[in-house]
Amino acid sequence: MTGPGVGAVTLAQVRREVALAGLRVRACAHWPTAGANGRGQPPPVPGFVESSFSPLIADAGHRCLAACYGQPPAPPEEGPRTGILIVSRYGDVQSAAAVARAVDKGERVGPLMFYQSVPNAVAGHLAAAWGLGGPVACVSPAADPVAQSVQVVSLLVGDGDADGVLVILAEQACVNGGRDYALAALVVGEWLA
Amino acid sequence: MTEPLLITGLAATSAFGRGAAALLAGALAGHPAVRTVHRFDVSGRRVRVAATAPGSPDLGPELVEVIDAACEQAGLSARARTGCPLLLAVHGDPAMARVSDVDKPACSAAGLAEALAVSCGLGRAPWAYTSACVAATTAVADAAALILRGECERAVVAAGYLVEPDQFALFDAGRVLAPDGVVRPFSAQRKGLLLGDGIAAVVVEARGPARARGAQALGLLAGWGRAGDAYHVCAPRPDGAGLARATGAALRRGGVVPEQIGYVNAHGSGTPRGDLAESRGLHLALGPYAAQVPVSSTKSTHGQALEASGLLELVLTVLALRVGRLPVNAGFLAPDPDCDLRLVLDAPQRTDARYALTVNMAFGGANTALLVGTP
Repeated sequence: MTGPGVGAVTLAQVRREVALAGLRVRACAHWPTAGANGRGQPPPVPGFVESSFSPLIADAGHRCLAACYGQPPAPPEEGPRTGILIVSRYGDVQSAAAVARAVDKGERVGPLMFYQSVPNAVAGHLAAAWGLGGPVACVSPAADPVAQSVQVVSLLVGDGDADGVLVILAEQACVNGGRDYALAALVVGEWLA
Repeated sequence: MTEPLLITGLAATSAFGRGAAALLAGALAGHPAVRTVHRFDVSGRRVRVAATAPGSPDLGPELVEVIDAACEQAGLSARARTGCPLLLAVHGDPAMARVSDVDKPACSAAGLAEALAVSCGLGRAPWAYTSACVAATTAVADAAALILRGECERAVVAAGYLVEPDQFALFDAGRVLAPDGVVRPFSAQRKGLLLGDGIAAVVVEARGPARARGAQALGLLAGWGRAGDAYHVCAPRPDGAGLARATGAALRRGGVVPEQIGYVNAHGSGTPRGDLAESRGLHLALGPYAAQVPVSSTKSTHGQALEASGLLELVLTVLALRVGRLPVNAGFLAPDPDCDLRLVLDAPQRTDARYALTVNMAFGGANTALLVGTP
């Protein structure tokens, strides 16, 4: 019943699985950046507190989209047909632990924790900033996070609800060998490559 | 137009008790299954009620029971089950925040899905959906896509949420729970939502294989759509454009025009902004017919079951068409002129409709629509 997080995921794996699915990676980014070398924190995201999970996703997602489009928003012919898929086996472990601690002590939970405890929320942050109007989904992968992520992307694109998907795999240090990690890839159908 | 898929098995457990029949009876009666929460301490909360079943049921065993019931109704043999993926929608196990790192994998959503697949003799559970209120309906849409791609002949979609202290605390802190203890979707003076227990499973199947093994169709999954708002982290897009695009996609896949829809099971959380955006979205998608088609939010009786709500509502929509009676939109006080919908009020409405929609909205601007048909 155990399974890997996304800590060992490499861009090469993503490119290989995406190509096998007949799709293309248009841009990518990951945390930590080469300069960060595993140190530091991703930039904070207004309204998200106490946990690195959403900032990790936001940072990798913004940089991936910037690598493709420059400045937001995405072009009007692409943005409305681009979805967001967040992939994390464990989700926001730090936020969940903070809520559990408060509940177990009989303390009140901070109101900001309400929406950040839902993984969709940071997808909404990225979608609003870049004008991405495709489907929003979050999944917890079982055995092979890369292959399964690409399969979900392939379903969305093949089914016709999106032409492309910003897929972001993320896991926090406490469940990922001591290292916060996120990898974002903008995956599109061949016709947009 | 997409070849419709069949729903050959369904099961549910809710605050109305065990079984889809109990859920349907409760929704038709229109009496909310809301009671004071005794499952955990709510003395420090602003709101102290939810739609809960008696006792403290355990999510895993409850899911096993409904999955087995849905598979049995579908007549799936042990062999047929092994070729059948499980697509599970859950928030996750609250225990994960309280166990050591070594034990966390089993408490993850994927870990629960893998364990359930083993327990129920299903082939695999490749991933689990955690996308809040659209998790289960996204899973249904993806199950359909998997079947149409030929990756499997059938899939089991299951979803579960049982009211627990962590989400209750979060929703209370977010001040979205109805302080008057009543969910009043689309009504004037609506004040918010109430959480509810929900466990459900459906078997979605390609027509050919289902016919080949003599399975009875309970309903059609005739269309589906998913779209985003591109608007905000948690607020819905005020014009409902994302929901309208999801609904339009479902209608196009089904080859159905709005006037063929005889019922809309609305997301209808009972929040002021959410219901307003949804009303506008339905008008965008359905045009003037949005003010004529019967609409109800069954969350007004079974509560908001988060990741499982969409599947409870799909089960209810299928059953409503089968029995020809539409569930009540409970809690209604007076019309909200900005929510110009024809709500099913006071008593179940008779129908001979062939098609119905069930729509859902979630944080992050996620929207889904499922088009259900009679077999």
